[in-house]
Amino acid sequence: MAADRKVTDYVTLVSNDGYEFKILRSAACIAGTIKKALDPTSGFREMEQNRVELPTINGVTLEKVCEYLYYNQKHAESKDVPDMEIQPELCLELLIAADYLDGE
Amino acid sequence: MSGRRGRGGGRAAGIRGPHSALTDFLAANNISAQEIRDSYRQRQQQAEAEAAENGEAEDNGEGPSIANDEEDLQAESSAMAAERTRKRKRNQEEAIAKIKKGKAAKKNAKKKNKGSDDGSDYDDVMDMYKKAGPLPGQLENCEVCDKRFTVTPYSKAGPDGGLLCTKCGKESAKEAKATDKASKPAVRKGRRKIESNRLDGLTFRGARTLQQLCIDTLAKHADDIEELGEMPEPIMNKLSEIFSKKRAMKSNTFKLFLQPDLDVVAIHEAAYLETEDYDQIFAIVPHLKKLSLRNCCQFKDSNVGYMIEKAKDLVDIQLLGANLVSNDKWVDLFIARGHDLRALKLEWLDAAFDDQAVEALTTFCPNLERLKLERCKQIGPDSIDAIARLEKLQHLTLCYQKVIPRDRVVNLIANVGPNLRTLCLERFIDPENEDGPNDDLLDVIHKTCTQLSKLRFSENNECSDAGYVNLFSDWSNPPLRYIDVNSTRDVDNSNPDGPEDAVGFGSAGFHALMQHSGSKLEYLDVSSCRHISHEQFAHIFSPEHTWPCLREINLSFCPVVDTEVIAGIFRSCPQIKKVVTFGCFEVQDVVVPRDIVLIGAPRAQNAIEQFGQVVMDFQEEFGEVQNPMGMNRIVPVMS
Repeated sequence: MAADRKVTDYVTLVSNDGYEFKILRSAACIAGTIKKALDPTSGFREMEQNRVELPTINGVTLEKVCEYLYYNQKHAESKDVPDMEIQPELCLELLIAADYLDGE
Repeated sequence: MSGRRGRGGGRAAGIRGPHSALTDFLAANNISAQEIRDSYRQRQQQAEAEAAENGEAEDNGEGPSIANDEEDLQAESSAMAAERTRKRKRNQEEAIAKIKKGKAAKKNAKKKNKGSDDGSDYDDVMDMYKKAGPLPGQLENCEVCDKRFTVTPYSKAGPDGGLLCTKCGKESAKEAKATDKASKPAVRKGRRKIESNRLDGLTFRGARTLQQLCIDTLAKHADDIEELGEMPEPIMNKLSEIFSKKRAMKSNTFKLFLQPDLDVVAIHEAAYLETEDYDQIFAIVPHLKKLSLRNCCQFKDSNVGYMIEKAKDLVDIQLLGANLVSNDKWVDLFIARGHDLRALKLEWLDAAFDDQAVEALTTFCPNLERLKLERCKQIGPDSIDAIARLEKLQHLTLCYQKVIPRDRVVNLIANVGPNLRTLCLERFIDPENEDGPNDDLLDVIHKTCTQLSKLRFSENNECSDAGYVNLFSDWSNPPLRYIDVNSTRDVDNSNPDGPEDAVGFGSAGFHALMQHSGSKLEYLDVSSCRHISHEQFAHIFSPEHTWPCLREINLSFCPVVDTEVIAGIFRSCPQIKKVVTFGCFEVQDVVVPRDIVLIGAPRAQNAIEQFGQVVMDFQEEFGEVQNPMGMNRIVPVMS
């Protein structure tokens, strides 16, 4: 981890309508696409700036995504995790965002 | 004291501050709340004095002790004294008597006093308050909303120790429940739900994927969705699956899955759909390539006609339970669309689809690569001969209801075998053949099939263990990815132990199989193979063997399987995700490593409850290398 000190603890996620979310790198990297973009060995610009722009995701959805990332991180090792509340009206956009971010 | 006096003065000038109807009532009857409160205080002080026994001259020997004390206090608050009439004094004494009798009077007094606003007085009031709770049937001011209400045995206590009216009590109970819930981190789901998830291969550790959460939420609100918009096809399919599972696939929701630019429509549970709905598919999705409908009970001749007319690009058809389609219409379909068809899967047809339809199928669909005919009751031996003419077949799955002579099947495999990637033969037995075990089928597979990756050969009671050894020994086929030889054993109720010479997949066959395919095998099903010995299991899953690709094993109803074998599997299969052990009574107290699902195990339920918590030492070695945050925790269950 000492070598990684240069990389910040927090990274910035930017939605298509300009909202910026600063969240823990460890949480952000739960999402496969973000993880790849921030991979120290990749040499992407995202990696240098610690900033990932997500032009397909709007602010409201990205906020929920960030909430999920922290929720996932918090419950990574626990059993019988209570489901996170998702507003039905957000669901479809969130689903597409989830598909995009998972990066499988 | 001065506070009291001030208030007394206030009272003389007219009531100040809030006062209740009762206060007014009492005042009208010449009963003063003030007095009652005073008398309380006085008794209190008296008690204190007595306890201290320092005779601090509260009692001046003037008149009867109680009234005296009272007078004494009154004297100190001189402005008050003048006001007091004798009548009032009498009342006061009555009140005191009441107080002595019971605590009820105290409550009233306290309530009246509660209206006052003075700080020190208020403290006194609170003291009284704490000393006595109101009895049921009496009136009380609600602690929260200050409204008056009748105390019942069910009245709730407020945050400061007071009582709450029914309405506030309900609300506080609600809040208490909510906080109670929140404080419990894990809401324990029902046992049934847990078991259900386990059977689905879902592990419990960690949060579920965001996608899964969204899909579940969508399924809950199935009727409210207006349009799905542009979804990637895998997600469409997942949504279709969950809608089907929840029986939410109705005429209205089903339209969500019809979009003009799609080329796949897969409805896994179409039982609620009407005949007109099926026409919608072909009207809305003109470039349909793949159609999959299960339980499509109302899929009729007219729909097939419309499909022939509209769906010009159709290459892949799967229909389950389409029993209202007549033989002639099946033939029409094959004549019209047959040349383009690459895949056809038909299941559970009992009213129509006979040998002639299969004949037409093989005649007009020469390019068919994938064919699945399961539980179609009308077809018999002649259809087997017809299928043997399909030269381009790569995937063949057959399960017949009628008896098929063995030599026909042998002939079929000899013809189409060389190109096959998948071969699934369920229950091909020939009860008319009386000359004991016969390995012709295995022989012909051994000789002609050289490209198989998936082989299912189940419910067969004719082939011997030697036949399986022969199949897997020196087989020019590359290692299999998927093998299912379940229920290959002799079934005879009058001879439950089976014949002397083992019939079915046994120890030697198992050994030969693992030698041949072990390096690439991902799925292994040997359930109900009763002739595999414990030694063989222990040997195959011993520490010196590693089966690098094995992900799923079904050992159900292999009575010899015990805890040692299961532990051996966990150890020698690094990729293992799911182990099925129904009816394995020797499996007890097994420690299941994390991210592995053990199903069945009738005597190990308590042990499995803790599953997911244990990290085995051998897991640690390579577990750390893998992404511990893997978002995709769903075990893929192979078909």
